[in-house]
Amino acid sequence: MRSETLSMLGKGGRARIARLPEGEMRSRFIRIGLMEGAVVSCLEKLPGGTIVLVFNHQEVALSGDLAASIEVARL
Amino acid sequence: MDDVTTTHRPHKHLRTESVPTDPLKPRIVLVGNPNVGKSVVFNYLSGLYVDVSNFPGTTIEVSKATYLNYELFDTPGIYGVSSFNDEERVARDIILNGDIIINVVDAVHLERDLFLTQQLIDMGKRVGLVVNMMDEAKRQKIAVDLQHLEEELGVPVIGTVATKNKGLEEIHDLVVRAREGKQNRTLHADLHARLSTVGSQGEALLLMEGDEVIAERHGVPPTDISVREEIYIDRRNRVNRVLQRSVSDVETGRRLASMIGRWSVSPWFGFPILAVVLYALYMFVGVLVAQDLVGLTEDTIGKGIVEFNIKSWIAGHAATTVDVDVLDAEGETAETRSFRFDEGLQADRALWKEAREFPGASDAEFTFTYDNPWLVLFFGEFGAVTMTLTYLVFLLLPLVLGFYFALSVLEDSGYLPRLATLVDRALRFVGLNGRAVIPLILGFGCVTMATITTRLLGTQREKTIATTILQLAIPCSAQLGVIAALLATAGPLATLIYTAVIFSFLVIVGTVMHRTLPGETSPLLIDLPHMRMPQLNNVTKKTLFKTWFFMKEASPWFFIGALVVGVLQVTGALFSIMDALEPLVVGWLQLPREAATAFVMGLVRRDFGAAGMFHLELSAFQIVAALITITLFVPCVASLMVMLKERGLREGMIIWFGSLFLALFVGGVVSQVLI
Repeated sequence: MRSETLSMLGKGGRARIARLPEGEMRSRFIRIGLMEGAVVSCLEKLPGGTIVLVFNHQEVALSGDLAASIEVARL
Repeated sequence: MDDVTTTHRPHKHLRTESVPTDPLKPRIVLVGNPNVGKSVVFNYLSGLYVDVSNFPGTTIEVSKATYLNYELFDTPGIYGVSSFNDEERVARDIILNGDIIINVVDAVHLERDLFLTQQLIDMGKRVGLVVNMMDEAKRQKIAVDLQHLEEELGVPVIGTVATKNKGLEEIHDLVVRAREGKQNRTLHADLHARLSTVGSQGEALLLMEGDEVIAERHGVPPTDISVREEIYIDRRNRVNRVLQRSVSDVETGRRLASMIGRWSVSPWFGFPILAVVLYALYMFVGVLVAQDLVGLTEDTIGKGIVEFNIKSWIAGHAATTVDVDVLDAEGETAETRSFRFDEGLQADRALWKEAREFPGASDAEFTFTYDNPWLVLFFGEFGAVTMTLTYLVFLLLPLVLGFYFALSVLEDSGYLPRLATLVDRALRFVGLNGRAVIPLILGFGCVTMATITTRLLGTQREKTIATTILQLAIPCSAQLGVIAALLATAGPLATLIYTAVIFSFLVIVGTVMHRTLPGETSPLLIDLPHMRMPQLNNVTKKTLFKTWFFMKEASPWFFIGALVVGVLQVTGALFSIMDALEPLVVGWLQLPREAATAFVMGLVRRDFGAAGMFHLELSAFQIVAALITITLFVPCVASLMVMLKERGLREGMIIWFGSLFLALFVGGVVSQVLI
């Protein structure tokens, strides 16, 4: 199965986080509640890849490269 | 069986750098995520007297106040206690030194905020929890059961609507009741096993979470990152369990504010909304404050009344020549007369009266030239005292107030993080992330102020790039007015060429720096708070604090800058510099020799440089070449001083000389091509 990343998610799409990148960013993701198993939906996708996610009542913006480092399973 | 005995291995405790504290008073520390209303709670408790200072060794501002018998500390907004950035490092040390932690959280974002709460509890601190924005939660149909939350966390909880002062009266009770909360037993035991190495449970926790600074402080190797992850995941799971039992939601309502919030990050509406915001900002700061208000305060009050009175008082008993320039309706000099006072104005009152009445009903400029060089240095044309006073109080102060007011409104409304999101991709081209949009916008107001604001950027690399762009290619409001007026006379083609050159130069410099400087652009991971109506009293307080902080920080540099130029003038070095520049100006830039004066004056204040061009008869293309040079040319002395302080002597000097060289180079190339 080919793994998909968060950056492939289009506006309105939903996905479950499958794998976070290693290192410091991983801790920062876990801290805000973006952890393996969490379900996120894409509120907005800007040209250039910046993505706005909604999960747990919060809206978080990620730059495109960061989104590309997170593996997801589309729902 | 003696393996439980605590062994005191030799270890060191380096002194924790912190803000000065009073050993007799218990310390309350306010902690919270960004945008949770922590500052409102701080303002409520602190009253009028707040001591804002830089945390030692950093550029982060820390507020301290007295509340009853406690010392009260505010901390920068953070998502957790660790060392991911400067804010966290500062907050970490203040928290470690605190006795009682008042943790402010956002009722709507408990999933995010309780992570920090649980971490504070795990540190073994006495914690009281303020669940703020209860009204917003209610509006979004999120039911927060405070009673349950209190039971699950094991610490006292109150609910507030800080912006409306609701519930804040319970804070005192919360401070008294604050206590240690429920902790993971295994973790707690692990932490206590480490108490012999470090001073407190809090430090033990940070050590386990791999905090390198704490590890170094105690002379032990940092713990592996995987331990932190385990702790984080466990903490996240505990938070989720707490939430399941104390928060229930029905449906997220669609309201106008959240609609605007969503539109402002959408590709279709985002840019039009940005255009409207920028236009409003321009009308408020650029027109109302920078032109109308500053016109009144600087010319009428500052120069016309204050400076005039100081100078004529100084000239009372000192040999002085007074030149009176009578101005016509366009502000051009119509008539000039010189009055000579060998023994000061007071010795020849009749002549002084004649001088004052000479302009009649017309506007006039009085220039006082003292024989004594010391008086010239402090009170003359570029007098360190007189010029700094007018500049700071009557030009900069209104401007900075206006800008910080607008910025506070945008900040409190929740728009800024959305703006950062919108422009993130574009700024990435020049090696910055979306956050850099704030200092760049501020630069159009005052480059000095913007240079200080580059502190909010995440890495040294980004601070360097942003500072360079600001110093080089962003014209400040003082300069913009003059540039716009000159371009208006030069025509649309000239304006187009000017804008294109400056903009492409900005992109080229940014791109080159991005490609050549070591390191990478830090990725954008930003939380978008809900949009809400800013509260006037909070905005006002913020504006005053920030303005006061800026004036305190920048004023000495403006004074020193003026002093340096004054010394150059008195010693005649200023004229030598102009002479030295002449061949370059005439031969390479193809401008009249007097333009050299304008360039050197640009050192004092950027707008002087551009204003000096008014009196020269220039062709449209000469105006373009001159303005490009002036814009890219070294910024005013104050911004140079602040840059040297922020970026260090070496880097500051590289940027300064670089901009000097590039300004002359680009200006010359444009001139050689066009003319």
